[in-house]
Amino acid sequence: MHFQGSPNMAEKRVKLISSDNDEFEVDEAVAFESETLRNMIQDTGTNVPISIPNVSSDILAKVLEYCSYHAETMETHDDKPPITDAQIREWDADFVDVHPATLYSLILAANYLNIKNLLDLICQAVANNIRGKTAVEIRKILHIQDDFTYEEEMEIRRETKWAFD
Amino acid sequence: MGQGASTVTACSGNPSRVQEDEDDDEREGHRKEQDEEEEEVEDGNDWTLYAPDECVASVFRKLPTADRNRCALVCKRWHRVEGQGRQRLSLHAVAELGLALPGLLDRFPHITKLALKCDRRTVSIDDETLCSVGRACRQLQKVKLKACKGLSDRGLEEFAELVSGTLRKFSCGSCQFGPRGINAVLYHCSNLEDLTVKRLRGFVMPNPSTAEHVLPGSCSIKRLCVKDLPSAQLLGPLIAGSKSLHTLILSRVPGNWDLLLEIITEHTTSPVEFHMEKVGVTDRGLKAVARWSNLQVLYLVKPTECTNQGLSAVASGCPLLRKLHVDVMKSSRVGDEGLLMVARKCRHLQELVIIGVSATSASLSLVASECSRLERLAICTSDTFGDPELSCIADKCLALKKLCIKGCPISDRGMEALVSGCPSLVKMKVKKCRNVTPASVACLNSNRVSLVVTLDAPSTTSNAAHNGVPPGPVNVIVNPGNNVRPSHSRTPLARARLAINLVACHVLRWSASNGS
Repeated sequence: MHFQGSPNMAEKRVKLISSDNDEFEVDEAVAFESETLRNMIQDTGTNVPISIPNVSSDILAKVLEYCSYHAETMETHDDKPPITDAQIREWDADFVDVHPATLYSLILAANYLNIKNLLDLICQAVANNIRGKTAVEIRKILHIQDDFTYEEEMEIRRETKWAFD
Repeated sequence: MGQGASTVTACSGNPSRVQEDEDDDEREGHRKEQDEEEEEVEDGNDWTLYAPDECVASVFRKLPTADRNRCALVCKRWHRVEGQGRQRLSLHAVAELGLALPGLLDRFPHITKLALKCDRRTVSIDDETLCSVGRACRQLQKVKLKACKGLSDRGLEEFAELVSGTLRKFSCGSCQFGPRGINAVLYHCSNLEDLTVKRLRGFVMPNPSTAEHVLPGSCSIKRLCVKDLPSAQLLGPLIAGSKSLHTLILSRVPGNWDLLLEIITEHTTSPVEFHMEKVGVTDRGLKAVARWSNLQVLYLVKPTECTNQGLSAVASGCPLLRKLHVDVMKSSRVGDEGLLMVARKCRHLQELVIIGVSATSASLSLVASECSRLERLAICTSDTFGDPELSCIADKCLALKKLCIKGCPISDRGMEALVSGCPSLVKMKVKKCRNVTPASVACLNSNRVSLVVTLDAPSTTSNAAHNGVPPGPVNVIVNPGNNVRPSHSRTPLARARLAINLVACHVLRWSASNGS
């Protein structure tokens, strides 16, 4: 068991290592935004660097930016006014205003790290990207191969006809 | 897409040790599937290949049905993931649906909320199709049937047995069912909490005395909505027997409900919300409603006969009221006396809507000072609500956020009071008040930055329409130039008013001749 630090220590730090071997150091509270990291830290403590083998450093940096901001919104400062929900929404909207490729990498990272609010936010952004588009347009945007035969596609269209919009 | 590529390399490495075993298996499974699919795609940029099904499914969850239907056409995997993730389904319940149904139910195995809707002229699904739905969908929690004329009480009985373990909400409208089918649902589905019945042909009966009553069955209904139902009083035992009833909605149900309300309120005391629209009740029925001391929301819309006595009784019996809507005929005698009782007893009132109530400052000043939490107030077609009344509201309603005044004799003078009054006001609507001009609204808007006042003044509307702006309430802040030629554009409205007056005269003459 690795128990570290005395109760006097203000804030524990956690080391994270990305897939391309960059090291990040954050407050424990920031890492705790991720359910996966929380479990890992509770198992192994904070003195062992945690490697995150499937998240690259630029994406990890972005994820940690999100976690830091949202960990901060939880804190209350006597001298500063609390951050309003509207401010958080605005910040979130800016955060997902990135290239689609980054969004897709973020979705995988958020899923692996199990950060529910981030996953929710990005899924909404991805959904906004494909809303109102036809199947052909979606395939084109996301580079998805059409693997239906003509008959199969017709069958699905026939079925869908029964469903109300 | 550099990001995608780097993620792939990371994925092919060792799975993280600390991850739970179960998760590892799942991820391993995905990886195999990805490998298979990857060969088919020449361009490796498809990010969805590396995303687990649950990620793709959570994107679909953010989309409306029409978009989800299009997503299902993108590729086989999306088709599968979309189908398995779908919980709500709304189908055209025409007879031919029976043939397509097995395929559909196969595609959407996890449906919990299903609507089957037909229209009046088309032949709908039959009992057998409904039962096949019940057999295939084992998780149905919410079911809605609309205009399915091909369904009978027997079909509903069998269906109720099939979904008895899961059904929580059931709604049916314009079907042929009668009390028997509804009784079967109530009897079998012990988890049922929410029931809506509208326009059911099976409730049309020549002799109500021999008709089957609707009983509470095995469930405890929390919300019951009854609309446009002939012989709706057959539901009396159900209402009286529902001990955990929270919300009751009765709308356009025939007959006089006074006696039945007396019986019902004697048996169940739980309701918190009661909507009553165009129901045959008099003060006697309202005195019965006054027994529901837990009532927080009451809509009293167009009762047959309601006087100050009835309103006073309700006010003194239901001190917890938060929302109160009283919509009565102008000719009815509801006014200050009833409202004074509301002011004295209902201290928790947050929303008050009075239509056709003759309210003056005598009662409104007390409402304003006693109901200190009043946030929303609407006063419509009240001949007694003039400038002094508006000034009184402005002076005393400190918590008021929204105010709506329609068809009342207020004028610009009364509006002036709001420049300094109602400090919490953020939204105000003025409709059909001919003595309020856009000028006073503009003045109000410019004096109070956080307040938005809208006015449907005739001059603004017709002028806007003339300029190609869509008609409707116009915020005067945005269109300050609209009050240029009021006299010219008011003519059509004046003409319309004249026409209405003529019609009214005809009606009066007609009713007078009928009476003699």
